[in-house]
Amino acid sequence: MASPNTEEAFTSSDEWVRVSPKLVTARRIVLGISMLPIIAVVVVLFILPIPAFIPVIAALAGLVFFIWAWWLIGRRVRSYAYCERDDDLLVSSGILFRRLVIVPYGRMQLVDVTAGPIDRALGVTTVQLHTAAATTDASIPGLEPTIAADLRDRLAHRGETRSAGL
Amino acid sequence: MNDSPPPEPTSTIGDDLGLGLSVPGSALFDAHGHRKVHPISPLVHAVAVFPAMGGVAIAFSASGGAAVASRLSSLPGLEALSALSPILAAIAVIAVLAALFSLIVAAYQYVAWRALSFWFDDDGDFRMQSGVLFRQQRRVQLSRIQAVDVTQPLAARVFSMAVLVIEVAGQDDSRVRLKYLTLADAREIRREVLARAAGLAADTAEAPQDIVTKVPTGRLAFSLLLRLSTAGLLLLTAVIILASYLTEGWAGIGFALVTGGVPLIVVISEYIRFHGFTVAQSPDGLRLHYGLLRTESRTVPPGRVQAIEYVEPLLWRRFGWTRVLVTIAGVGADSSGGNQRQQGNTVLIPVADIDQAHDLVARVLPDLDTSTLTWVAAPKRTWKRSPIQWRNLAVGWDEAAFATRRGRVTKRLAALPHARTQSVRWTQGPWERALRLATLHIDTTPGPVAVSGLHLDDDQVLEIAYHQADAAREGRSRDRSIHWGQQ
Repeated sequence: MASPNTEEAFTSSDEWVRVSPKLVTARRIVLGISMLPIIAVVVVLFILPIPAFIPVIAALAGLVFFIWAWWLIGRRVRSYAYCERDDDLLVSSGILFRRLVIVPYGRMQLVDVTAGPIDRALGVTTVQLHTAAATTDASIPGLEPTIAADLRDRLAHRGETRSAGL
Repeated sequence: MNDSPPPEPTSTIGDDLGLGLSVPGSALFDAHGHRKVHPISPLVHAVAVFPAMGGVAIAFSASGGAAVASRLSSLPGLEALSALSPILAAIAVIAVLAALFSLIVAAYQYVAWRALSFWFDDDGDFRMQSGVLFRQQRRVQLSRIQAVDVTQPLAARVFSMAVLVIEVAGQDDSRVRLKYLTLADAREIRREVLARAAGLAADTAEAPQDIVTKVPTGRLAFSLLLRLSTAGLLLLTAVIILASYLTEGWAGIGFALVTGGVPLIVVISEYIRFHGFTVAQSPDGLRLHYGLLRTESRTVPPGRVQAIEYVEPLLWRRFGWTRVLVTIAGVGADSSGGNQRQQGNTVLIPVADIDQAHDLVARVLPDLDTSTLTWVAAPKRTWKRSPIQWRNLAVGWDEAAFATRRGRVTKRLAALPHARTQSVRWTQGPWERALRLATLHIDTTPGPVAVSGLHLDDDQVLEIAYHQADAAREGRSRDRSIHWGQQ
């Protein structure tokens, strides 16, 4: 970890909420699906009349990537957290590229709630906040649908009471 | 139908090329009492597209249209010409074809002109109805207007006509363009829209203005040449030419044409854009007026500027020059406008003395004073991440504003009032993390200015991030700039 102080500022003082572990499953399913073309390529390589070591290397590389991505998904999902403070929402995420976004409620222009087909099947939802800045990028994936709906309503309410012009 | 006195001599909004080709007539009204743009507009459209149509005509003759072209060239007059000079005949054929295409455009624009009308509705908001196949009615809430500008493309300027552009805050292309109006009408409608937007009576006179500064022609040209990329490429060109002269390897000349030609074209086109850059102060904001062929008048309303940036290329610093860029909500966020237009629309002044630049910034952001900020510089270990610019990396703030410094060769100082903060972002990449550094972004509306404090001490900058979130909240609660002219 970078330094004890930074860690503390990320975690202490306020109530940080982590996202649902179901997001890990959802993302791993997506990973599995995206592995299919790679598997297909490896199979074709095995059939082709070429030296045997080429498809073996390709298969090993695919496997290493798969394990690494599998492991990374677990860590990344654990890194997502948000914290509702009196006047702003904090969202932190990322392992390799870490980020902390502070969005004042008064600056929220709209709140998106989205869920793809796999997400819906597993019951996870993404809440994304938009401000007038295109670079804000505050999204919280992996919320239970009821929690997401509650969060959206709370955010919308606070946004109304604290809204300001541009 | 223009009951206001003739345009007062103080108004610098728009002019013509002095060809004496001014179009008579003024505001027309349709059956509903709605205003229309000038009836000669289809013709101006045709003139405006004529050069492009010339290109289309060339492509047309070169490809399938050869038969049409040859039939055209067998016309009696052209045949005689063709006997005289085949090249002249070819040019004539192209011109005739281009004229034909332009006429088609004019015919379409005539139909569009019939469909277009605009008026102020009962709530005092601006409405425009347009569209031939798909009817469209657009309502512009006057309180959301960012600026009202008069631009004059070359074709319009020949006829002393103008385009009125109403900029509205919005993500997509939400601006309204009225093509074309006589200059007097454009000024008149602009004045009325601004008066209504400021919550004044509709017949309030055009706000007076005082010229603040004008960029001298020589300085503009010289400053563009002194930009590092330009100067570097020109130097490279000189070296190449010298080398090809010494070695008699004349192939280098072709390369030199590219390295020398491209920067010259960039300099010349930017010079044409910004020629005669004049800044004037009026109660409805700073007015910028510029352009050699196509002239533009832009208003930078007070309280609508989100962020500013001073840009100082290396070779400008010994002259104490700086360029000032501004982010205005809604301006430059237009995806269809093209990059060059966006950049042009966000320049507060292309080159100015530092003091002059500070004075202009104080006029658009009165609270911002970059000389009184408390700066926190990047720690020494940052040189491992950014070996060149690390000495200049810093963030600074006071009660009113937040600012960041970056760049070594071209120094940039970006600043925004706390109240304009949209969100605060702390980010850390793997390399930064290994060095215990982090970057702080203050997000603001899309535009040229990025307020980013790069590669600072991570703990310190996290503290600053929280502090900035609080400062932004306090700034918002103090901020009252909703209407113009009421500060």
